[in-house]
Amino acid sequence: MNRLNCASYKEGEFYRDLIQQFGSPLLVLDADTVRSQYRDLRQALPGVEIYYAVKSLPHPAILRILSDLGAGFDLASSGEIELIRNLKISARSTIHSHPIKRDSDIRDGLRYGCTTYVVDNTDELLKFIPYKHRVGLFIRISFRSEAAVVDLSKKFGCALEEVDAMLTLAAKLGIHIKGLCFHVGSQCTDARQQVEAIHTCNTLIRRHHDTGAAPVSILDIGGGFPIAYDGGRMDIAAYCAPIRQALAALPPYVNLIAEPGRFISGPAMTCVTTVIGKAMRDGLRWYYLDDGVYGSFSGQIYDHMRYPLECFSNDKERFATVLAGPTCDSIDVIAEDVALPELNLGDLVIGHMMGAYTLASATHFNLLKSARVVEINGRFKETARIAAEQDIRFPLPVNPVHQLH
Amino acid sequence: MPKFAETLYDAYGQEFRIDELLHEVKTEHQHLIIFHNAAFGRVLVLDGVVQTTEKDEFIYHEMLTHVPILAHGSVRRVLIIGGGDGAMLREVTRHRRIEAVTQVEIDRQVIEMCRTYLPNHSQGAFDDPRVQIVIGDGSEFMATTEERFDVIISDSTDPIGPGEALFKEKFYAHCKSCLTPGGVLVAQNGVAYMQLDEAKTTARRLQRIFDDWYFYSAAVPTYIGGIMAFAWASDNPALRHTALATLKERFEKSGIETRYYNPDIHQASFALPQYLIEAIGE
Repeated sequence: MNRLNCASYKEGEFYRDLIQQFGSPLLVLDADTVRSQYRDLRQALPGVEIYYAVKSLPHPAILRILSDLGAGFDLASSGEIELIRNLKISARSTIHSHPIKRDSDIRDGLRYGCTTYVVDNTDELLKFIPYKHRVGLFIRISFRSEAAVVDLSKKFGCALEEVDAMLTLAAKLGIHIKGLCFHVGSQCTDARQQVEAIHTCNTLIRRHHDTGAAPVSILDIGGGFPIAYDGGRMDIAAYCAPIRQALAALPPYVNLIAEPGRFISGPAMTCVTTVIGKAMRDGLRWYYLDDGVYGSFSGQIYDHMRYPLECFSNDKERFATVLAGPTCDSIDVIAEDVALPELNLGDLVIGHMMGAYTLASATHFNLLKSARVVEINGRFKETARIAAEQDIRFPLPVNPVHQLH
Repeated sequence: MPKFAETLYDAYGQEFRIDELLHEVKTEHQHLIIFHNAAFGRVLVLDGVVQTTEKDEFIYHEMLTHVPILAHGSVRRVLIIGGGDGAMLREVTRHRRIEAVTQVEIDRQVIEMCRTYLPNHSQGAFDDPRVQIVIGDGSEFMATTEERFDVIISDSTDPIGPGEALFKEKFYAHCKSCLTPGGVLVAQNGVAYMQLDEAKTTARRLQRIFDDWYFYSAAVPTYIGGIMAFAWASDNPALRHTALATLKERFEKSGIETRYYNPDIHQASFALPQYLIEAIGE
């Protein structure tokens, strides 16, 4: 269920002004929030280098902000490489973290200058033989998490028992394994699984070191750091306390990396939609918004999240309401049976915490355009500006038609 | 002070202080920067990898030109593939007896940029009346041209990137058919210690096409990691063993002044370290 807040009509003025200026629907990226999320995580995990997971919100605006702060970047495709290359960000501070790659993906990465890659099986390891002098690899280990909303250890990651064999094979091939990594999942409810994974990696790293082999000297603890979709406040320092403790037990030569995506991008973006249609159906009020689950709200489908919604009205009365998206498909419903005041055409409905896995997975279904992104700094709408007009994905039409004669 | 760190190798690399950023451009396919560094002069970087510097470029360019030209002895026509900075052209045109030089460069912008920002590389060679510049794909040019050359010089980027086609077997085969009898192909082939597989692959490909092939080498400071390997291929095995006295005579007659090349270096450069001999021997 989406949490719903109804604020006074006056409180909506900030967003009404933005819509007036930039049109609707709109995604409002707050640079201040990006910076404070990054800072909070750095403070919660001292000594851990932060590599922002570009996939969560692959938009030039957030990448620029983070690059200025000195963040690194976690990349997973040639498209993401191209995006970051266009911003002239040095490949030195990037990791290609996709465990499955084509040869052309590796070459694209190398050409950009990214020399760190991730493998989780021997076939993938063999792909690096021609590039062994240039690269340093991570082995991704699977640690299943029951506490994560999105389990990332089912599709990727090798079993713990396979690690030794991969290390041995890599040494035989002359491929440098520089670290271990894991992703316990996304939006974890507690840090237990991460702590357990760190302990296990600690044992592995020490045992490997005892054999006299080249040291595995980096531990990448992945992402998964949660944010509060229920409107509460996430105390990230407290959440990370057991992680800090576990990391402190690692040998001193081990460097640390984390790859947060959602934690940084999630709270930084607000989706502003407008009521474009109304109907009464079976005693329910239906409001049709100009953005939905095929657009910015796609995370409600793919990412299994429910975003806190807000509307602006001084009316006290509430009615059972359905909030639907603009496409022709009946699955395009954002919230069902929520208690809302009467809204009029042109009124706004806001979705908060909508930076991560929202625009990133939005489609062009019905040939509807994705919402524009506007960058602001806190509540100072005077500095608001359209952030990089170009669509981050393929311009339409997507597929050229090849005619067969 | 801003710095540039090369992104060629994961665990090792060189770093330059950027004393002045002269030019930066992100084209459709590559990211190019030119900056000034106190130790190496102007430095040209493509996609995070140093391509050439003012201070040490002479080693690379003298070795890829004077070695094949003086070993051959009667070169009239030369083809350069790549080499947009113009330094290869500069060295070739110093041979007065050469009648025609064709250079095929894929990107006109590179030539323009290098003439503006690296003028010491070409030193006016682009204006030499014997020079013809073709803007186009080197590998396509080779496949279609009717012209024949005594020496072909492949001055490419690394095989990962735009220079990829210039390391393919097809390209070498086209080179062979564009060479006059007894002509020579030479090609940049990477730093052998760091990119041994490249030498291995090239050796395998050349072997299938040319009667005589080998490598020679020179150490270029900013191509880090040891000696750079240059591929050598010809249908005349004698050229590789041209007598020292002959080289000395030809070099003297050319009247060319060099800073790295001399006939002793020429001969010695074909002596390869054991690890490279083993890598290229089947």
